[in-house]
Parts: sequence; C-alpha cells; structure tokens
Amino acid sequence: MLVISRKVDESLKIGDNIEITVVKLDDGTVKLGINAPRDIQILRGELYKEVEIENKNAILSDLEVLKKLK
Amino acid sequence: MSNRLNICESDIIKFNRGIPGFLKEKEFVLLDVEENKNFKLLRSVEDGNLGFVVVSPFAILKDYEISLDKGVIDRLCIEDSKDVILYSTVTFREDITTNLSAPIVINLKNNLGEQVILEDSKYMIKHPIDKE
Repeated sequence: MLVISRKVDESLKIGDNIEITVVKLDDGTVKLGINAPRDIQILRGELYKEVEIENKNAILSDLEVLKKLK
Repeated sequence: MSNRLNICESDIIKFNRGIPGFLKEKEFVLLDVEENKNFKLLRSVEDGNLGFVVVSPFAILKDYEISLDKGVIDRLCIEDSKDVILYSTVTFREDITTNLSAPIVINLKNNLGEQVILEDSKYMIKHPIDKE
C-alpha cells in the first residue's frame, strides 16, 4: 500500500479525475473532501464490508423457513 | 461435478460486477418460491447451490424510495425508471431481516442487474420483517 503524508488543505490526485483534499483534523478524525466524476461510487469501506457480510448471512439454506412468513 | 443450473438463456440476469462477497458470480436467475408468493429466489447460474431469498422492498416499506447515481444508470443502461425492479435480500437468523440499504436493481429491458449500496442511507441493512 502506498502511504503519503498530507497536511490540512493539501491534496492528492488519483488519475486525472479524482482529487482528495484533507479538510480538517480533529481528535483522531480526518475530514476529507473528494472531487470525482459522478459515475465513480464513493463508499465508506466498512459499509461495503457490512453488505458483504450481510450477503453471506443471506445465503439460503432451507426453503422451509419461508412457510413461517406472511 | 458441476452445479450449473439448467435454465433458459433469456432468463439470465447479468451482474457484471458480481455482488459484494460473491464477485465471481455474474449470472443469476429469479425463481418463484412455491412456499410463499411474496418472495423470490435469486439463484446463481454457475453455482446452483448458491441462492438468496429476495423480497420487494415496497412490500416491506410502502414508501421506499432510492435514487440511483449516474454510474448505476450508465452500467445498467437504464432509460426509463419503469423498466427497473428492486429486490432486497432476506436474512433468516434469530430474527428475519431484509437489507433495505443495498437493494438489488434489475433493468428488465436488458436483464442487467447490480446490488447498489446506498451511501448515507436512511434504510437499515437489517430491517426487521414481521413473522405471522
């Protein structure tokens, strides 16, 4: 993994179209500003992880469970 | 032994990006569930043993509403919102819940699908479904 140090108001560019700026540092939280094309999806990493886990939990093992539902 | 499902080519819904946790599964079919008409089964074509129970989010929340970003609209070639159908996966644990914050979006015009993760969603990943 590439690790780069940045100060507040400094930015970094990813490719031609994406720019990430450090907006604020506050007690362990970094606030980032992101400029990217609208078709690039920006997601908090843990949100993706949660959906991954939920999908794995949702694998069907037994159709019988459906009888319990309305 | 192959677990590939034997189904009609035109019934295949293509998930070109896979779905989170199952990125290799690109083709699914939607099957009726005999035990319960309100639910459908989204089953992988390549691995017929892999399937998810899904339900229309509107059956759970009448006023469910999402907006799709440009990336999804482009990737699924959506021209008219009327062509789009939504499903939410259902999880059977101690409680029965459905994931309203990552709906499965399918364009019925071309059978392209994608699971869309809603950033800053007001909907829950584990939205409870009432048992009868």
